[in-house]
Amino acid sequence: MSAIPLSPVAAQEEAAVSLWRDAWHRLKRNKLAVFGLIVVAILAFTAIFGPYLTPYDYLSQNLQARNAVPSLQHLFGTDDLGRDVFSRVVFGTRTAFLVAVIVTVIAVLIGTILGAIAGFFGNPFDRVIMWLTDMTMSVPNLLLVVVINASLKSPITKWMEAQYLATLDPFYRQTIWVDFILVFGSMALISWPPYARLVRAQVLSIRSRPYITAAQALGLSNWIIMKRYVIPNALGPLIVSVSAGLGTAMVLESAFSFLGIGVNPPTPSWGNMISDGLRVWQHYPHLLAAPAAVLGLASVAFSFLGDGLNDALNPRGSK
Amino acid sequence: MNTTRSNEKLLDVRGLTVEIDGRNGPAVVVDGIDLHVNKGETLGVVGESGCGKSLTMLSLMRLLPNKIKVTKGSASFDGQDLQKMSNKELRKVRGGDIGFVFQDPMTSLNPVMRIGDQICEPLIYHRGMKKAEARVRAVELLRLVGIPGPEERLQAYPHELSGGMRQRVMIAIGLACNPKLLIADEPTTALDVTIQAQIVDLVKDLRAKLGMSVVWITHDLALIAGLVDRVAVLYAGTVVEDAPVDELYARPSHPYTRGLLASIPKLSDAPASRLSSIGGTPPEPGRRPKGCPFAPRCPLAEAVCHERVPKLEPLSGAGNHRTACFVVQKMQEAA
Repeated sequence: MSAIPLSPVAAQEEAAVSLWRDAWHRLKRNKLAVFGLIVVAILAFTAIFGPYLTPYDYLSQNLQARNAVPSLQHLFGTDDLGRDVFSRVVFGTRTAFLVAVIVTVIAVLIGTILGAIAGFFGNPFDRVIMWLTDMTMSVPNLLLVVVINASLKSPITKWMEAQYLATLDPFYRQTIWVDFILVFGSMALISWPPYARLVRAQVLSIRSRPYITAAQALGLSNWIIMKRYVIPNALGPLIVSVSAGLGTAMVLESAFSFLGIGVNPPTPSWGNMISDGLRVWQHYPHLLAAPAAVLGLASVAFSFLGDGLNDALNPRGSK
Repeated sequence: MNTTRSNEKLLDVRGLTVEIDGRNGPAVVVDGIDLHVNKGETLGVVGESGCGKSLTMLSLMRLLPNKIKVTKGSASFDGQDLQKMSNKELRKVRGGDIGFVFQDPMTSLNPVMRIGDQICEPLIYHRGMKKAEARVRAVELLRLVGIPGPEERLQAYPHELSGGMRQRVMIAIGLACNPKLLIADEPTTALDVTIQAQIVDLVKDLRAKLGMSVVWITHDLALIAGLVDRVAVLYAGTVVEDAPVDELYARPSHPYTRGLLASIPKLSDAPASRLSSIGGTPPEPGRRPKGCPFAPRCPLAEAVCHERVPKLEPLSGAGNHRTACFVVQKMQEAA
């Protein structure tokens, strides 16, 4: 009799781990990725619930306590109108997330659909779509956004005013949506090409794999093959790039707001807060430090998470 | 051997020609192939790598990659011309009436889909089954192909199964809709010898149970000896010999078939004797010789072999044994 423990059942159960759970195990081992994940989770929580939990309204001014240094009452101090900087940073998180998530979702949808069509159906779709992609990428981001803002902002605002005068519907008075729509639109417009290229490359390599021929031999339609065979297999790299893309979109939103072509005051955005803080940083450094530090933290967290996901989802490529 | 066999043709391929669009113009890879499979019959398609076996089968189902095209010929299945069907009709045949088992079980299953879902796919698509019905049938199929614990296995991903198990899953998918014809494209090449034998036995067993026709593509003449009814030997995209399996082993007539059979090691060989092999390599597509494609490698080649292409003709005295060789045909007439 041998003493070797033989338990085929246990071995089988251990093997029954899905691809995603496998990736999760690898992600958990990566300390930086876990740090990134935690920070992203906190930021996401802040973006959703933060504005309800802050002690002050982000707009309420207290002219008695202008430019106060950080204290227990005002964690990050107050700005030149006596508004609580902590509450504004918290609301800025919501702005940043809102813009980042919506822009990334739009960009990924456009990119995935166009990239998948280009890769799966080949020419002439491929040529036209890649031509569009190259064209979009050839225009400098900043220039494109400035042009869109300059050319569309005032007509839309005028149209909204006209609508308000005609209908007296209060909806048309909220110019904040014009900002957001322009920001979403212009940023999505410049963000989709990398996703389209990535998905196209993935689809091109997946299309020639035997299981696609096998699926065709089963008589499945192109649509089902695309939906159930091609796209799920292309998802790994796409998730990695979405994670990195969210961080980039946040930084981009801040950059545009910093330049005054993104989200405009009084809606707080890290970018316009940094821009305000920059004017007085020699006297009140906390006004610059608070939003800048949070922006930096968010950007770093997303890229750590993206890196970790990359290693977790492509175990062969990591080492 | 098989009681359901008849002389009615299920698959009839005539003069099928496939060309690759290369840099130096089109190159013929399958040159006017004639093949047929009777109902309930198992046909072995044998030949070296690159002789067009797989391309022929893929072209039947119009599954060829972009640059490869069927330029001539027809392929009718159950009375319908597969080459002339609309895509929609063709999709009904694929997976429904004709099941496919691919060469490499490691890469022919979708890695991100549970195998249960993959088996259910053709059932839902072709038979209009509900998910729950399809699952019942999937368990049945997994049991049929000899996978232990089929209920739990439905939840497994392909990477959790061994190569042999995956090939069984592939066969289960191929069989899902009770096809009239199962095309197995070198289904055992990626497997080790003991598993190969299991898979061959499994298909033999299933064929008897389900009464379908099978086309088994292989380069291994020895493997299929006990499995198939008839063998078509392919060389450089043409059928060079076509005979019932016993007849082929007893009286191989084409020099290429003889060479193939001679290169199978036998237990009766003297120890340490050299394996016999056929000298040279098959012609590259686009550089086919003018006459018989095998002539440059053929030990019996005569002047006429380099000039004209021989036709597949019945040997005298055996109506169902056909061969494409001038020399053999001449010897037959002389005898």
